[in-house]
Amino acid sequence: MNLEDLYRLLRNGHVEAQGIVDTVPDPLLVLDQNLYVRTASRAFFTTFKVTRDETIGQHLYELGNQQWDIPELRRLLEEVIPKSTAVVDYEVEHDFPSIGRRTMLVSAHRLFHPDNISRSLLLSIVDATERRQHEAEKDVLLGELRHRMKNLLGLVQAIARQTTAAGHSGEEYRDAFLGRFNALVQAHDAAYSQVGEADLQEVLQRTLEPYSPTGVLVESGPTVSLTSGQIMSLSLILHELATNGIKYGALSTPTGQIRVHWEVEEASAPSLRLVWQESGGPPVAPPVSSGFGTQLIEFAVSRELGGRVELNYAPAGLVVEIVAPLGSVS
Amino acid sequence: MLIVEDEFLIAIDLKLLLQRRGWSVLGPATTVKEALALLDDELPAVAILHVTLKDGSVTLVAEALRARQVPFVVASAYSRPELIGGDVLAGAPSVGKPTEEHRLLAVLENAVRS
Repeated sequence: MNLEDLYRLLRNGHVEAQGIVDTVPDPLLVLDQNLYVRTASRAFFTTFKVTRDETIGQHLYELGNQQWDIPELRRLLEEVIPKSTAVVDYEVEHDFPSIGRRTMLVSAHRLFHPDNISRSLLLSIVDATERRQHEAEKDVLLGELRHRMKNLLGLVQAIARQTTAAGHSGEEYRDAFLGRFNALVQAHDAAYSQVGEADLQEVLQRTLEPYSPTGVLVESGPTVSLTSGQIMSLSLILHELATNGIKYGALSTPTGQIRVHWEVEEASAPSLRLVWQESGGPPVAPPVSSGFGTQLIEFAVSRELGGRVELNYAPAGLVVEIVAPLGSVS
Repeated sequence: MLIVEDEFLIAIDLKLLLQRRGWSVLGPATTVKEALALLDDELPAVAILHVTLKDGSVTLVAEALRARQVPFVVASAYSRPELIGGDVLAGAPSVGKPTEEHRLLAVLENAVRS
């Protein structure tokens, strides 16, 4: 083999080795024992927007206007590395003049050498900025989800605690509780399953039909769009009215009827007037005390819908009138 | 006692639960505005605060209570309510959410005594 062949062989070997280094997508640096750059990969130049000439042969801390003179990195190289053969994913957060604030994961390994005499370091640098951002966003999202779940459990606890147990059998309590629980599930579904708003007619029919397909007559009326919050409250109010009707009111007899109708009153601001009218049931008397159901209705109308409700226990049948502003309801 | 809670089912539950235990209840207030208006009329012995209300965080209410030396407890599903409601909530006794009845009563009585 002549000298030229040997040169070609060595050169090919070197080109191939450099090719491998340049193909690795993450920036790589090879440093000598004094932290001068011996080799850098193509990804290093492109990521940090520097040229080969201003990199090779320079001291690491002098590179690119001293942008690598970072206290955390100094500590890593001067204190940690000498005592260990490798450091993996050491996190460095730094404001790089060329590319801005970044989170870099720096790994340092003593460069492999067959005789184990190497004092060079291979530094690989992974930009984890976006990954860290995603992780932070995911944490926020998970936190919010956990918060909502606890809130929902709080609602379930509230109805479990306020469904009357005294004087009722276990079965009766269970049925009453599950009735409210299902109403809550459905109200939640109706309120949050669709994007935006839903129509009052649809909400009334979907909520009331299961209680009595024939006993409840939802008359058609003007189009009224409801927000999620309004749907939620209204669904729960309707459940309380319907179960009350089944227990004591018009739906407790085969001949009883409930008419639900509404109109939109256009005053200075439009408002909804919704009427629940029972007839044909047993004679009605006002309840002796106001229980959870009544409180729920009154509170939901006044606070959630921003309106007022009148429960009129007329002997011929309960009449409930809800008047609430439409549009911007707080 | 004053209840500040904007989730209406929970608000009614707390009110009925505490009334049954002999507390006289102010509210429930569902907004910061409403809570502050209630405080102008009458000072409760203690208050129970939800952290996020319809018109913002409960911070102003907590500050008003502190200025009037009314103790308050926090009912929140957040593990660190002060991150949302500000420093005024840091260190306030928490009754958690969902709120367990015995713990609620114990924390309230403790707050009133101290």
